[in-house]
Amino acid sequence: MEEQRRKSGRWGYIWPMWMTLLLHLLAIILFTTGFLLTRTELPYYSHCTDLSNSPCFPPSPNNNGSCWTKPSINRLVIIVLDALRFDFVAPSTFFAESKPWMDKLHVLNNMSSSRPSSARIFKAIADPPTTSLQRLKGLTTGGLPTFVDVGNSFGAPAIVEDNFINQLFQNGKKVVMMGDDTWTQLFPHHFERSYPYPSFNVKDLDTVDNGCIDHLFPSLYEDDWDVLIAHFLGVDHAGHIFGVDSTPMIEKLEQYNNHLERVIEVLENQSGPGGLHENTLLVVMGDHGQTLNGDHGGGSAEEVCVTNMVETAIFAMSFQEPLSSVPPDFDSCTCQTDLDGKNVCISSMQQLDFAVTMSALLGIPFPYGSIGRINPELYALGAGSWKFDASQKLPEVDIWMKNYANALCINTWQVKRYIDAYSASSAVGFSHDDLSRIASVYAQAEDHWLHSTKKLLLDRHNDSDVLVPELKRQIDAYFKFLTTVAELARSKWTEFDLKMMGTGIGIMLISLIFQLYAILRPTKQHDVNLSSSSGNSSIITSSIFTIFLLAIHSFSLLSNSYILEEGKVVNFLLSTSGIVALRQSVIKEKLLIESIGFLLLSTLCRFAIEVGLSKQAATSAFMKDYSSWIANIASDLLVWDYASKVIPMLVLILLAFWLYKATRCGFFDWPRKYVILGTILSYMLIIVHWITDSDGFGVALTAESIGRNYIPRIVYAIALGQLFLLSFGQLFKRNCLDCKTNLVAKTTAMLSAWSPTVILLSGKQGPMIAFASIVGGYCIMRLDNIEESNKNRPGRSFSIMQWSLFATCLFFCSGHWCAFDGLRYGAAFIGFEEFSLVRQAILLAIDTFGFSIILPVFGLPFLVVTKYQNNLGKHLLFTQLSQMYTTYGLITAVISTFTILCVTIHRRHLMVWGLFAPKFVFDVFQLILTDILICLASIYYFDQGDDDLELKSSDC
Amino acid sequence: MDRRKKDSEKTPASKASVVEASPAISASEVFTVNLLCGVGLALSLWVANTIYSINLVTDPSLTLFIISIIELPIVILLYGRYRQNRQRCSYLRAVGRGILGVPIGALLNSLGAIALGAPVTFQHLAKTLNWSLMMSLFTIVPASCVLGSSWADWKRIFAQTKPNGSIEYLICLQAYGAVIGGWFGAWPMPLDWERPWQEWPISVSYGTLSGYLVALVASLGFVLAHRRLQHVKKD
Repeated sequence: MEEQRRKSGRWGYIWPMWMTLLLHLLAIILFTTGFLLTRTELPYYSHCTDLSNSPCFPPSPNNNGSCWTKPSINRLVIIVLDALRFDFVAPSTFFAESKPWMDKLHVLNNMSSSRPSSARIFKAIADPPTTSLQRLKGLTTGGLPTFVDVGNSFGAPAIVEDNFINQLFQNGKKVVMMGDDTWTQLFPHHFERSYPYPSFNVKDLDTVDNGCIDHLFPSLYEDDWDVLIAHFLGVDHAGHIFGVDSTPMIEKLEQYNNHLERVIEVLENQSGPGGLHENTLLVVMGDHGQTLNGDHGGGSAEEVCVTNMVETAIFAMSFQEPLSSVPPDFDSCTCQTDLDGKNVCISSMQQLDFAVTMSALLGIPFPYGSIGRINPELYALGAGSWKFDASQKLPEVDIWMKNYANALCINTWQVKRYIDAYSASSAVGFSHDDLSRIASVYAQAEDHWLHSTKKLLLDRHNDSDVLVPELKRQIDAYFKFLTTVAELARSKWTEFDLKMMGTGIGIMLISLIFQLYAILRPTKQHDVNLSSSSGNSSIITSSIFTIFLLAIHSFSLLSNSYILEEGKVVNFLLSTSGIVALRQSVIKEKLLIESIGFLLLSTLCRFAIEVGLSKQAATSAFMKDYSSWIANIASDLLVWDYASKVIPMLVLILLAFWLYKATRCGFFDWPRKYVILGTILSYMLIIVHWITDSDGFGVALTAESIGRNYIPRIVYAIALGQLFLLSFGQLFKRNCLDCKTNLVAKTTAMLSAWSPTVILLSGKQGPMIAFASIVGGYCIMRLDNIEESNKNRPGRSFSIMQWSLFATCLFFCSGHWCAFDGLRYGAAFIGFEEFSLVRQAILLAIDTFGFSIILPVFGLPFLVVTKYQNNLGKHLLFTQLSQMYTTYGLITAVISTFTILCVTIHRRHLMVWGLFAPKFVFDVFQLILTDILICLASIYYFDQGDDDLELKSSDC
Repeated sequence: MDRRKKDSEKTPASKASVVEASPAISASEVFTVNLLCGVGLALSLWVANTIYSINLVTDPSLTLFIISIIELPIVILLYGRYRQNRQRCSYLRAVGRGILGVPIGALLNSLGAIALGAPVTFQHLAKTLNWSLMMSLFTIVPASCVLGSSWADWKRIFAQTKPNGSIEYLICLQAYGAVIGGWFGAWPMPLDWERPWQEWPISVSYGTLSGYLVALVASLGFVLAHRRLQHVKKD
């Protein structure tokens, strides 16, 4: 058997890893198809003629162009301000505390306070997921887009479902669009004219906005459109780059205020009878909110952050003679006096209702899949245009109510039609109970309509005394139905394919067993060699302790609080392992410095993680506590500012010096020597890049923009060259040295080839984290060696566990967390200005997982190497190495398995899309990346062929 | 929170000296010692509750301080009686080094707590300080009364966990009990239950106290079992 293994060469060591990769891929594909849901998109569209099937009144035939409802506005101007927080719009008196970014869009406040019946601010509640693409889809279809589409956010596919824009297009309304190019991707053929601007370069605050402004004002004077959409991105980008509480953000808001003032003025001037904007509705809205540090997309589960992401504002203003008032029963508003002492009322609405309300106002068919309801306050803003005929003796308000009841009737009928069609066409629709519940609520409302309200309405000579209570009852019945449907859709829309998920979990468990087998197998085979150590109780203790730590970490993933604080949990475990190591080194009375150093390092990590967490939840109490003393040191002193620039460079020079010293040692032969020299060159280039990038050094380079892009590109090119050199060097080399030195040289070369890219992408913190990982790795390596009673022991799982915990800590230390807003998008644009999906995705992945996966996986051989004396032979060494890699893979796999179990258990949890699903995506990505890297590393590290040298030496 | 063997930073003191072992004590004495420690704890909680009308949740800082103040004389005076090297070391000296052990133990404990994630802000300073005082009384102080500066004994008891004789069983088990209890007590802290006791150091203190109480009982049991075993061996 031994001989067989030796014959099969390196594949004998490698195949378990490839097998694991395949198993994991299979498991994850199966699970993901079951878990990340796709809502069935129905290929049906609403048509004008459909209305004859409904029990409701068609619009009076003399209203030409009208279709479902009586149109109340002719033109619509939608200004979308991306990531508009509710508190940007609402007066600061609505909040407990006045913040610098509030009250900047005061024109909206003034309008809604001075003309309460024609202008109004709404607090709009968006449904998750809160990324721009998802929200635009939700806004236009009136449905609930699912999480899967987040994955498509980078390549926005056209919307195939029926939607508001499509209805406009079908009914001959002309739509003009300017701003964010996501719109043109979603609706490629629907616009009369469009002026798209690229939305992905987050560093650019002004291009999109200026483009919008350039086209917005001329268009306002033209009459060749019915609906105008202007999508501004400045606030979103300013939030991503600088955060909410920053000067660029406030400048942006002030700029918008001026633009909006001008827009209102232009519209106002032409709103006279017969004017261009006589029946125009202006809507200023956000697609979603953002947290204080500018994130959205659904990560942090803190209550505050969720409301911040979900709450955005809609401001609507019509330029018609207003209706005297809306019947107070429907008013869901809260009123407060603003800073000028005027009364401002703010209503609340669901973003879901936007599409249907706008369709009703314009008189076009409602989107087929919409499940929103017509919002009374928003609908009332358009009521002024109806020429109320004096022949009716009813007051205006009652006529409006009549119309509204009819519109709701159509609304209800359309939603019911959709629900029926959906349950008929989708394999797993709503449950039977729910359907019958909906049906009964619907039947009630319809009954009432057919038997009392309709008759009353047909009879033109009723008093309002009779009519109004009846109408109110009718409207309440419709509200009840629509609310029931929306609630049901929210809670039950997402259908999990439990069979698929179960199969995925099953395969995952099988892969765990397989990995365990792969770890234990070599131990059995070498029982002869290792028998001396098998009775060693300390190994058993340490494996038990490893399993204990792993179990705590894994089980902690089952709770959302621990996932939120995973950084701290991991650090707690790391420190615990450090304390245990310290105890060990006290017993042996050696390596005290290393163990204390390791403990100190993990303490430092802990502070770094806390700073990272504070970024995640900038609103939390943490900032208040810490800013006091951090800010005291940080902000006031110029020296500190200067040091924060210089220290990374010094550390980088130190790293370069270490590498230089390593090359002097002489065990690097030609390709590796060049690789390391290349790394040193890259380090120098990075320093130059940082100097030219910052203005603090008084280096005024004219070619600054060139340097900014070219130096990172050169660094990437060098790294690619190094990797090629290493892999080709692999083909030609026959190992001339003993395998241990060879392995050290290979590992060092590989790590040094990766490090410049990772450091460059991580920014100024890069060198520090690189330094910390070297120190930490060294300590783990030394401490692993603490019991050298027997050199042949199998790989100690404890040190691998420490290695893995430390890697996870580094992930959090470098300012990441498991959420899409934890990605440092800025890193993807180092060296490149323009967006290209594959390239930016690779850079982002390297930035996110550089320190936590790439470097640890490639550095793992160090743990093996230190334990062996040179003469031990290749076979044993490689057995140990493959065992170590499998153990590392197993630890990652166990943690991922628990994440998968966790999302399965919590699939109905409130936070599932906000917290668990991103964590799931991150962990799955980490698992696959780790597996792939382990496979690559194993090809790289395991030499081809066998050598006779070890046959002689393996007699031990 | 866990911080075994930080003691290593202590002066690399005496060579494993040929010291006379700590005096053997009878089971009833062990019982009395443990009982007094337990009663001290109960007394301090009672004092806090009735006289100051506070408890760990409402005012952790003061409560911990009361516990420390009341336990301090009990622990030092009790364990001082079982000092090693009776000939060379007077009772007063044992008490003296016990008092010396208080700040050292507090420092080690607070360092360990910080490494594991205890908050370091100014507003938490008093809490951390009082908590580590209490921890010091449970872990380091008894040992410093009994063992003094005998590095070999410290190492043997704490690092290798090979206590020898009844009194060392008490020291070792109680220190480990308090530390491990505190370590487990930190677990509920990140949970989002929003209970007041999840604050640092309340849940950790509860963990410490319960770990310590369990260790008091367990050490008594150990001593009895150990004794019986020795009897059997002798027979």
